[in-house]
Amino acid sequence: MVIKLDEVVISGLTKKFDDLTAVDHIEFNVAKGSIYGLLGPNGAGKSTTIRLLCTLLRPDEGTATVSGFDIIESPVQVREITGVLPEEGNHTLYQTLSGYDNLEYFARLYDVPEDEIPGRIEELLTFMDLWERKDDPAGELSTGNRQRLALCRALLHKPKVLLLDEPTAALDPVAAKRVRKLILSFSEKYGQTFFINSHNLSEVQRMCDKIAIIDEGKILLSGDTQELRTRFKTSQDFRIRVVDDLEKAGSIAESLDFVTSLKKEADTIVVTIEDPFTNNSMLMQSLLSQGIKIVEFAEEEATLEDLYLDVIKEGGAK
Amino acid sequence: MALYKSILVAKADLKMAMKVKMVRYGLIGIGALGPITMLVTVALMVYGDPVIGVLILPSISAILAPMLGMIAIIPASMIAANALVGEKEMNTLEPLLSTPLTDRELLIGKLLSSFIPSMALLLGSILVSEIGTFIILRSVGAEFILVPGIPGLFLLLTAGPTLIVAIVSIMILISGRVKRVYEAYQTSGAVVMVFILPMMIPTMTMGAGTVDMNSVWMWNIITFLITLVIAASTWALAVRKFNRDTMISM
Repeated sequence: MVIKLDEVVISGLTKKFDDLTAVDHIEFNVAKGSIYGLLGPNGAGKSTTIRLLCTLLRPDEGTATVSGFDIIESPVQVREITGVLPEEGNHTLYQTLSGYDNLEYFARLYDVPEDEIPGRIEELLTFMDLWERKDDPAGELSTGNRQRLALCRALLHKPKVLLLDEPTAALDPVAAKRVRKLILSFSEKYGQTFFINSHNLSEVQRMCDKIAIIDEGKILLSGDTQELRTRFKTSQDFRIRVVDDLEKAGSIAESLDFVTSLKKEADTIVVTIEDPFTNNSMLMQSLLSQGIKIVEFAEEEATLEDLYLDVIKEGGAK
Repeated sequence: MALYKSILVAKADLKMAMKVKMVRYGLIGIGALGPITMLVTVALMVYGDPVIGVLILPSISAILAPMLGMIAIIPASMIAANALVGEKEMNTLEPLLSTPLTDRELLIGKLLSSFIPSMALLLGSILVSEIGTFIILRSVGAEFILVPGIPGLFLLLTAGPTLIVAIVSIMILISGRVKRVYEAYQTSGAVVMVFILPMMIPTMTMGAGTVDMNSVWMWNIITFLITLVIAASTWALAVRKFNRDTMISM
């Protein structure tokens, strides 16, 4: 059994801006080497959480540790071991400086040894397919290229923890896919811990090992992505293919009070049932006991979108 | 505190500021304005009537020295505005603050990025004025007189740097209240106007073509002390206010 130590530990972290509590006593841990996703609508408190973790903001209550360093007690050490891609990262480069100059400046600020700087920049820019454009002013690059350059900046000093705020926002699907691939390959290659803010559900579903859902500054839910997808379904679709008696199967299903909707498609009925983990076997039993021959009884895969909407709708921790 | 990091920030700020046309041409234009005004005045005096010109040159020098200083320190506010508000406007502040730079290193870096070019401009203006005056005086066979003279040099080399520190400090304080560089330029312009006054006070002693040099000395020392108090108090306030939380929240 592999035990993953926690790289980021957040305890009771709170940040207020006047009357607004942007982050409200949040608590969760991020395992070393994992990709953790913080999901939530705009204004939920995602960016504030990242700003607190990279010590840009000082919490009003609570604290967090990054690789053992407390964000209040040791902010400089925290900044040394974290790489940050701010919100709208592609707009946070020095537009008049070349890509190379942007990276060289930050490499020095992050204390990358002088003799390692050229090699490190070349390695990253080559990896991101930007080496040919290293002398172009950052402002003349496309949005996708700028985003990858901003990612290079975050990765320059080989940080233990990467805090990425909406890494694929404002990117076209091809560029977004490329950035996701880069994150996954870096995570695999260097074992770095990634903390990703996103409101893109499919992105989080594809990349993250664990997720938390935040809304109005509160963590509504957190846990393993796969587990949450299945555990937190209040209702679920089942696809049932039958031999002959489609009408009869539909009538039986409709008569059950936990079935909330029903659709017929050729030889299949698609039913939505409440409390699926209790009622799915009851549905099957009801159909079989009345002579329906079932060819297929398949659970429609739950998506994070379903989970997300369920949780946001209920607005409370489960 | 690592000074090399502050120098790194200052160098990057200067490099970036020089890419902004308004700052680049502003620096060249303003930098040239002081010595040109100084030398044209000296030339008119000396070539008009060399005997009288040389006699009243020390008084003219006392009047013009504060003007030379005022012009040379204006770029400090332009560069400071660009280095502070410009970072915010260009969204580059957040990644910069995410680096291991300490608040103090960043503050010193921002100060140096304005201080170094403004001091270079001030010293350059003085040097060009002195050399130009030497050439003009030699061309009419007159004895060399320092323009700016010793009282003026004292004022420029003491009140000048302290005023630059004051301007940068005030820029740090107002940067939290303005969102755009042009707003900062406007505000800094007003700030410079406030600081013009103490530099102009020595000129008020003028009468009948000459000034009382004792009075010039006295007012130059008072001006220096005023700028010193302003610089010390605004710098102390800027150090207190300059932190990540306020910069990001502002």
